[in-house]
Amino acid sequence: MMRPAAGTPVSRVDGRLKVTGQAAYAAEHDAHDAVRGAVHGVIVTSTVGKGRITAIDTRAATALPGVLAVISHANAPKLPYRPFRRVTDPPRGEHLRVFQDDRVRFFGQPVAVAVAETLEAAQHAASLVKVTYAAERPATGLDAPAGSPNEPENYQRGDVDQALRQARTRIEQTYRLQREHHNPMEPHATIARWDGDRLTVWDKTQVVLNTRAALASVFGIAEDAVRVVSPFVGGAFGSALRAWPHVTIAALAARQVRRPVKVVLTREQLYTGTGFRPVTEYKLTLGADERGRLTAAVHDIRAETSAYEDYRESLLTQGQMVYTTPNVRQTYRSIPLDINTPTWMRGPGAATAAYAIECAMDELAHETGIDPIELRLRNEPERDPGTGAPFSTRRLRECLRTGARTVGWDDRAPEPRSTRDGDWLLGMGMAVATYHTARAPAQALARLHADGTATVQSATSDMGPGTYTSMTQVAADALGLPVSRVRFQLGDSAMPPAPPHGGSMTMASVGSAVADTCDKLRRQAVRLAIADPGSPLHGASAGDVVVQNGRLSLRDDPGRGETYQQLLARTGRPRLEARGGYTPGEETERYSTHAYGAVFAQVAVDERLGLVRVRRVLGVYDAGRIINPKLAHSQAIGGLVGGIGMALLEHTVTDPRDGRVVNANLADYLVPTNADVPDVNAVYLDGEDREAGPLGVKGLGEVVIVGVAPAIANAVFHATGRRVRDLPITLEALL
Amino acid sequence: MSDRLADEDHHDEAPGVSRRGFLSATAAGGVAAGVLPSVLAGPAGAAPAGAPGPHSSTLSVTVNGRRHQVTIDNRTSLLDLLRERLALPGTKKGCDQGACGACTVLVNGRRVNACLTLAVRCQGVEVTTIEGLAAGGELHALQQAFIEQDAFQCGYCTPGQIMSGVGCIREGHTGSREEIREWMSGNICRCGCYVKIVNAVQQAARKQGS
Repeated sequence: MMRPAAGTPVSRVDGRLKVTGQAAYAAEHDAHDAVRGAVHGVIVTSTVGKGRITAIDTRAATALPGVLAVISHANAPKLPYRPFRRVTDPPRGEHLRVFQDDRVRFFGQPVAVAVAETLEAAQHAASLVKVTYAAERPATGLDAPAGSPNEPENYQRGDVDQALRQARTRIEQTYRLQREHHNPMEPHATIARWDGDRLTVWDKTQVVLNTRAALASVFGIAEDAVRVVSPFVGGAFGSALRAWPHVTIAALAARQVRRPVKVVLTREQLYTGTGFRPVTEYKLTLGADERGRLTAAVHDIRAETSAYEDYRESLLTQGQMVYTTPNVRQTYRSIPLDINTPTWMRGPGAATAAYAIECAMDELAHETGIDPIELRLRNEPERDPGTGAPFSTRRLRECLRTGARTVGWDDRAPEPRSTRDGDWLLGMGMAVATYHTARAPAQALARLHADGTATVQSATSDMGPGTYTSMTQVAADALGLPVSRVRFQLGDSAMPPAPPHGGSMTMASVGSAVADTCDKLRRQAVRLAIADPGSPLHGASAGDVVVQNGRLSLRDDPGRGETYQQLLARTGRPRLEARGGYTPGEETERYSTHAYGAVFAQVAVDERLGLVRVRRVLGVYDAGRIINPKLAHSQAIGGLVGGIGMALLEHTVTDPRDGRVVNANLADYLVPTNADVPDVNAVYLDGEDREAGPLGVKGLGEVVIVGVAPAIANAVFHATGRRVRDLPITLEALL
Repeated sequence: MSDRLADEDHHDEAPGVSRRGFLSATAAGGVAAGVLPSVLAGPAGAAPAGAPGPHSSTLSVTVNGRRHQVTIDNRTSLLDLLRERLALPGTKKGCDQGACGACTVLVNGRRVNACLTLAVRCQGVEVTTIEGLAAGGELHALQQAFIEQDAFQCGYCTPGQIMSGVGCIREGHTGSREEIREWMSGNICRCGCYVKIVNAVQQAARKQGS
């Protein structure tokens, strides 16, 4: 038997392209000859946080040699901006309209673009554009909103007030998370080219179809007049789920100067030109009985959004389903501010909620004297406490026990501040992670070629998890081909539609579509063979024919058969082709499906300096079936590293006087470096979730950042006895 | 495609000076410097051919073993020269401020941030980029190790990590995982593959040492 490719640690099929510098990212397609003669657009951004533009002087800029245009609201055409809203757009509000009026809504808003023959000339020109403002003081903090809070999102079950009155133990605390930026290594970039009324863009995007829809709406053209190409994405973590203003700016500039235009955001511009994880204040009250069983929980949440869009994320899910809690009340308010709109960032909502819930659980464990793991086990539900639905699979107990065994949890002295290593106070903490398994309709196209190779495509993306590779594995198994003879293509809006490459749903959705499509193609080949008098398989029953290593044969008589090449050559076909897809069924309603994890952290805190050093992080995950353990492991340790950043380093600092991000660079906005990351490991429980979907996967990318920050915060408490409730935990909080 | 751009670059040369003639004329004096020449060749001195304007210079630089003569805007960084002029976008722009290491290349064998290096300072130097690391189609040991160890995800920091890793190995900073972590900390990997980057550097260092 040919061993299935799915489940094996195949190296990345695009690895060679990436290690040789041949993979073409958004800003590089002009060097790779996909588009020729691109000129450069450099964006000018507002230097006030709110107000109106009173004058724009572009004379010095346009006088420079090589400058083709300076475009601003003063000379930009009125754009149609047809209303549109994709699933990744906020539920309410309007997209920021580029160069359509004189209003400044936030510091760093694009106000003009300088277009020139060379990058140097465009940069210089942008620096010479003089913008005069009538400035107002922007609202940038949760306590001083730009307007009345948006309509809250509420949830309630049981009688919380009575349960809290009767609770044996109460924890009532407020946890604060600062704004975090995705900071993918590749800056967002777009190259746009018009051919008559048809627009092609090479864009950094997790959703080529979103960019296509956005541009069609902005310019009032048909979606099929827009093509979006994005074969490689240099990291995104959610930042490329929407088409941000610079995408429109590139297309607008290209139309104005009648040349292809490339716009690359500077690192600084990424902080206001794309979204971020919003500042969130999470007040949590827990009530528990004498055995530590939760009786009540009140979640009162406030998070920032822009004044022009009401961004929301799934902050409430976890509080409804993670622990048996009969009485729950939740309120989630978004607070409009004079800032750009937040957006999805890895583990959106869940990573934030888990921070508050899992720290509060640690506080409850300490208060009641119950071991933190035992406390979770006592509150483990048998069915989803929110919906009453059965769990498709929930193996959190195994995650907790496996992790505890691996890190030696039972040897941990429970008393805080009880373990030392010289000047270092040592601590070990843990937290639970959950993330909802999302699935969405997807389609694929597969072709079997005369040479016995296959190409399969879907308009999905690969921002790093290895979509190219895992889809190739799924396709190879369904086609009965080795991985080396299958090529998976993605990142082109001309391909069959796929949902956003985010929310951990790519494998479950696109993977299922690929499996369905390739199954159809294989069955088509089998039908062709058994109907063909020239085939050794003529007259066989389709159910008796298997395909292995590109050869069709009878299951019980392997000698009787032929290869795909022989079949296609004899029947005179250049190729066979099939389309297929996946539509989530009732299983998404019938079952409560989530990925789970238990995260363990060991830290050392310098008693005198307050310095926190992570010594070890381990995540143990129940994520259903793992298609590629090698890549899944990378994805998990990457999420854990992101969590280290969230816990200890990452914080976008805004100057309240004018709304400027004061640390909009990678020297002052700290992300984990190699020296910050010692022993980080992840383990996946074997198994699959048969109710989650055809492939049995539950999604990986999000759950692996959830729970890391609270595990580290709880470890810091265990090390020091100091409970720091505001992220990131910096040394001044521990002095 | 690099051929195409190299040919275009020839148009920058003055009529009558062939590429071959230029190379032979400058071959002796052009490569004597260390990492970066301490005495910068000014526009005039660097330009035996071409007609640079007041804000441009003619530069002769060897990239991946290939000599290029280009007239460049004096504001051009080595990074933008590679990416925007020489069609070598394998070297990445991550921050353009020397903070992320995505643009790491070897200049005369030593790792530098190409974004902080003005191209005009590269007169006569030898630059190695990720595109020049594989010899005749065979991957460098570290490139191979990156694939085997899965030391990347999105791949955008990867060229810089690999060039930095090559430097790290040459410098002899691979005595322990801790040492590698320290000497590879100028290269940010936002996908968080650090553990595997260390694995890959260790693997390649062992292989080269054996």
